[in-house]
Amino acid sequence: MIGVIARQQLLACRRQNLAPVTVVVLGGFAVLAGILGWASHHTIIGIYDESVKLVTDRGQTAPPNPFLLKPTLSMLSNEMIYITVIGALVAIVVGHLAIASDATNGIGRLVFSRPIRRRDYTFGKLAATGTILGAGVAVSYLVSVAALTVVDRFPTGGDLVRLAGFYLFAWLYLMLFAVIGAVALLLLRRRSLGLLAAIGVWLTLTFALPQFTSGLRPSQSLNPIVDPVPINQTLFRITSHVRPYSIAEQFKEAAGRILATATPEPAADTWLRIAPIVVAFALLAALTWNLITRHDYSRSNPE
Amino acid sequence: MATSPAIEMQALEHRYNSDPVLRSIDLTIEHGEIFGFLGHNGAGKTTAVNILTTLITPTGGNARVCGFDVVRERAEVTRCIGYLPSEVRMYPHLTAVENLEFFARLSGVEQPRKAARDTLDYLECADLGDLRVGTFSSGMRQRVGIAQAILHQPRVLFLDEPTTGLDPMGVRQLRETILRLNADLQMTVFMNTHLLSEVAKVCTTIGVLSHGELIYKDSIEATVARFPDEATLEDIYARVDAATVGDLP
Repeated sequence: MIGVIARQQLLACRRQNLAPVTVVVLGGFAVLAGILGWASHHTIIGIYDESVKLVTDRGQTAPPNPFLLKPTLSMLSNEMIYITVIGALVAIVVGHLAIASDATNGIGRLVFSRPIRRRDYTFGKLAATGTILGAGVAVSYLVSVAALTVVDRFPTGGDLVRLAGFYLFAWLYLMLFAVIGAVALLLLRRRSLGLLAAIGVWLTLTFALPQFTSGLRPSQSLNPIVDPVPINQTLFRITSHVRPYSIAEQFKEAAGRILATATPEPAADTWLRIAPIVVAFALLAALTWNLITRHDYSRSNPE
Repeated sequence: MATSPAIEMQALEHRYNSDPVLRSIDLTIEHGEIFGFLGHNGAGKTTAVNILTTLITPTGGNARVCGFDVVRERAEVTRCIGYLPSEVRMYPHLTAVENLEFFARLSGVEQPRKAARDTLDYLECADLGDLRVGTFSSGMRQRVGIAQAILHQPRVLFLDEPTTGLDPMGVRQLRETILRLNADLQMTVFMNTHLLSEVAKVCTTIGVLSHGELIYKDSIEATVARFPDEATLEDIYARVDAATVGDLP
């Protein structure tokens, strides 16, 4: 029965163009990250070549190519920002729509007058949501590999594994926001309010909490800069305790470690950054199941 | 199981918050009956159907459909019922056949696509099969709604205000469909309705619900014989609704 629900949801999303749009948006931003990486690579190499010419003309030794000092995958560092900003928004819409028509349009009345368990229904909806977001993430992975190949060279086996780890983590992060979209709708029982509330949560997690817990530097919300302000000042020492709740911040920092673009740290510390996202997803998925089990599908509220 | 009534309610009660909507309903409907459940808006008819279709849990008493308890044996109940709500909603971006196929799969029908097409054929609306439901008029949606309710050949069919949105021809078609289903498949039909003219033409038994209480139940023949002075079922209904239980003949 899980498969029946998932298949139906995938078909509905395909007809609503939600599935292709999700794949195109996620893949498109991977393309954009690749273009930005290529542009910065191209510009810096151009400047470096000119500098080398100038320096060698003066008989001095040229400094090493800056790109040889940077990790290969740093070219895709913008991708982690797109996942937290655009990807999370898309995931909210996917999660919201997975639940919306059945819960508010009255279709649920017909569904639950059939022999289906609400647990199977929940897992079916989650499976469909995971498939759509997974397709988007898989396309992003392929685009990233292509971008690295075009700009530099075909990634090494280690880089491919790191990239796969990053996108798997990104998929989990997107699933978290998809269940936020579903939970908000089930709690508020109105489509517009549910979507608005989920976007409010996204704004808080993506912009407000990172700002609060990372030295009040607005630029950190949009750039993968780690600890711009040392936490030895009292205020930042206090706010740093809230950091585990700053999901977007944890994502960016853990993603930086997975891609090996950030300062290395012990693996246990990286797992501690991943854990809040896994726990939050598990709790919200369980809450989705609980809310679907208690939802009164005999009433409809198409607003 | 054949000895169990099609529908049985015993001291059935339901409250929304503290407001009683159904008050100690006792009602038995035998297999093969076409039962018309009458009552004005807010009388509790839809709540009763919601309980019998397992969509909500009653706050008191118990109800059984085809011998199965609607709370404890939900899966068995939903396997033997079909349900048409007053306002039919389906996935608008999918075709009628795709929608029906989905509901057939949920009901465990073995060849869902064939069942979807056969049911539309049976209802003489096969031409709707490949059109998207979002483009349908309310009458067309209602016909596809009936198809989803019967495609798994349920033993008991619940119709909640089935004539909503239908034009006179649609109402006539619906009446003929109900009579055919009852005759061809021996389906028991439980119908909430306001349309007394249709009740008189279709139903074998009627029940009247007023403010959550069942104040009358009898066969159409017995009802007409009981009220010889009243010309139409509408007059009988008005008299029943105005009277208290003890005042009725």
